[in-house]
Amino acid sequence: MSATPATLGATAAPAPAGSPRRALWQRPILLAGLLAAAAGFFVPGLIDTPYTLSLLINGVVLGIAAVGIGFLMHQCGFVMFGVAAFIGLPAYLVGIGSAQLGLGLTSAVVFALVGSTAFAALVGALVVRARPLPFAMLTLALAQMLKQVSMLQVMRPITGGDDGLTMSFDGTFLGLTQSALGKAPSFWPLAWAALCLVILIAWVAAHSRFGQVLRATQANEERMRFSGFDTYWPRLAAFTLSSFLVSVSGVLIALNSAYASPELLDFATGGHALTAMIVGGGATALGPLLGAMLYTWGQSAFGATGYLELLTGIAVVVMISAFPKGAMGFVLQIGHRLTGRKGP
Amino acid sequence: MNFSELFSVAQLANALALASLLTILASGLALIFGLRDVMNFGHGALYMLGAYLGYSVGNQFSFWAALVIVPLLLAVLGVGFELAVLRPLQKRSHMDVALVTFGIALIIGPVVHKIWGTAPLSVEPPAALAGSIDFFGTMYPTYRLFLIAVGFGTCLALAAWLKFTRVGMHTRAVSQQPHVARMMGVNTDRLSLLVVCMGTGFAGLAGVLAGPYLSVDPGMGATILISCLIIVVIGGLGSIGGAIAAAVVYGFIQVIGTVLFPSLAVLAPYLLLFFVLLWRPQGFGRGRVS
Repeated sequence: MSATPATLGATAAPAPAGSPRRALWQRPILLAGLLAAAAGFFVPGLIDTPYTLSLLINGVVLGIAAVGIGFLMHQCGFVMFGVAAFIGLPAYLVGIGSAQLGLGLTSAVVFALVGSTAFAALVGALVVRARPLPFAMLTLALAQMLKQVSMLQVMRPITGGDDGLTMSFDGTFLGLTQSALGKAPSFWPLAWAALCLVILIAWVAAHSRFGQVLRATQANEERMRFSGFDTYWPRLAAFTLSSFLVSVSGVLIALNSAYASPELLDFATGGHALTAMIVGGGATALGPLLGAMLYTWGQSAFGATGYLELLTGIAVVVMISAFPKGAMGFVLQIGHRLTGRKGP
Repeated sequence: MNFSELFSVAQLANALALASLLTILASGLALIFGLRDVMNFGHGALYMLGAYLGYSVGNQFSFWAALVIVPLLLAVLGVGFELAVLRPLQKRSHMDVALVTFGIALIIGPVVHKIWGTAPLSVEPPAALAGSIDFFGTMYPTYRLFLIAVGFGTCLALAAWLKFTRVGMHTRAVSQQPHVARMMGVNTDRLSLLVVCMGTGFAGLAGVLAGPYLSVDPGMGATILISCLIIVVIGGLGSIGGAIAAAVVYGFIQVIGTVLFPSLAVLAPYLLLFFVLLWRPQGFGRGRVS
């Protein structure tokens, strides 16, 4: 039942024309990526203003969520409107794990990631059967529902209700204590490492056979079923993987701020990640990250003028209208033009 | 729990009042979706703008004038929306256009705050509709009865327009089978200009009607938008009849849920969406599945 690349070639990732298809670990892009990843750890040494660094951290955390939903959108054509569900839930779970269950910080983080991913698998089992638009609405409803649950009166002892959940961590995570996690320079390596890992996972998954099956299913599901492929389980796996990647961002938020509030589950939180992903372009693993950086920078610059919402709105409208493939698509187009190679 | 209390006339009317407001909004949303394939995230903001305009026009002239002028103003805004946003972007993906409308909502919000301030404003119903009247043995606010009448009257008129006029038939055709309708010679651009204007006009109407019923505040658009999106999806995308039915069901579930399980009622709409979509992915109506 192995489909040859030729039959799937139309939808597969564009391999450089003329060069034989090389194994993933042999591609030069991976080496460049590793160098960039290593260089990233030295960023706090280059930036001396704490504000810029915390801004960068916000961008990285948002970027992780954006990469997660970008993966799902590009591979399956599913847009997760309710991203906030998988940002807020793990953040709460970190707090619940350390406060209610008395777990150490490392166990609480593992608990949050496993819990959130398991929840995603359960929900996904139902929602990935839906068509893309109902899917978007279902995930949105899910996020709203979690938000309402977190604010219910009966949940107050566990989630803190409207006031949110202030956490105090027990022990350390990868050698970082609560106060170290709250400081930008010591938190940076963790956030950066998480980002690199998330991008690597998304990139490898997209370039694997799994990604090919997903894209082919998106292009023509019926035909894939005719050809003997199962179309349900790969989608469920993609949804779960994407939710896991988004959960990483939720856990980082909880670790950094030691606080979770119903706002994390709000549509607006998901809106940030969604907008960042679309502005950056979902077609590549790096596009959402670029979008997140632009978005965070924009929020800070617009916030300074006092017209945050207005300027954000204008920027979103302009960016999406002007760059159909996102900022990353635009950068790639320029790159292809400069090197004289025909773009994908 | 006393069931006679649960199904009292007042509860029934409350459910209908909420439903009529939602119906007007959701049918506008469904119209725009049917023609342009766009989930208009700006609909809540247009509704809010309508409510604020209704407040101002109502103070300047009268509530009745607002009821006529504001929908017309919003319809004019709809012309701009169709020509400047929807038409140039019609080849783009759903998500792109949806986010652009979301961006427009972000723009409308601060503009409204700038003009009217952020404090909630209250609107008095006109003198003729103030107070309560005896309604099947229950004293019930007159304005809510008026709201129900106007809401469902508008929807009936819309349904009749869709069912019995040629343009209405074209609208239904494009909503269900855009390509076939275009092949059969329906000018979708001209049609969608009309229909988008109607959709935004309806948002304005709902805003004016909401003024005396709820209060006029900056958060009103965002709150109701999600309800409307849920209704449109439950009703079946592009199906206006389905949207009306879904709005009524939604209103009942909301109001009865508040009486029966006050603490869990906030979850009811989402559970409704989950159950309906899992049981019938195409929703109530005969809209297309997309």
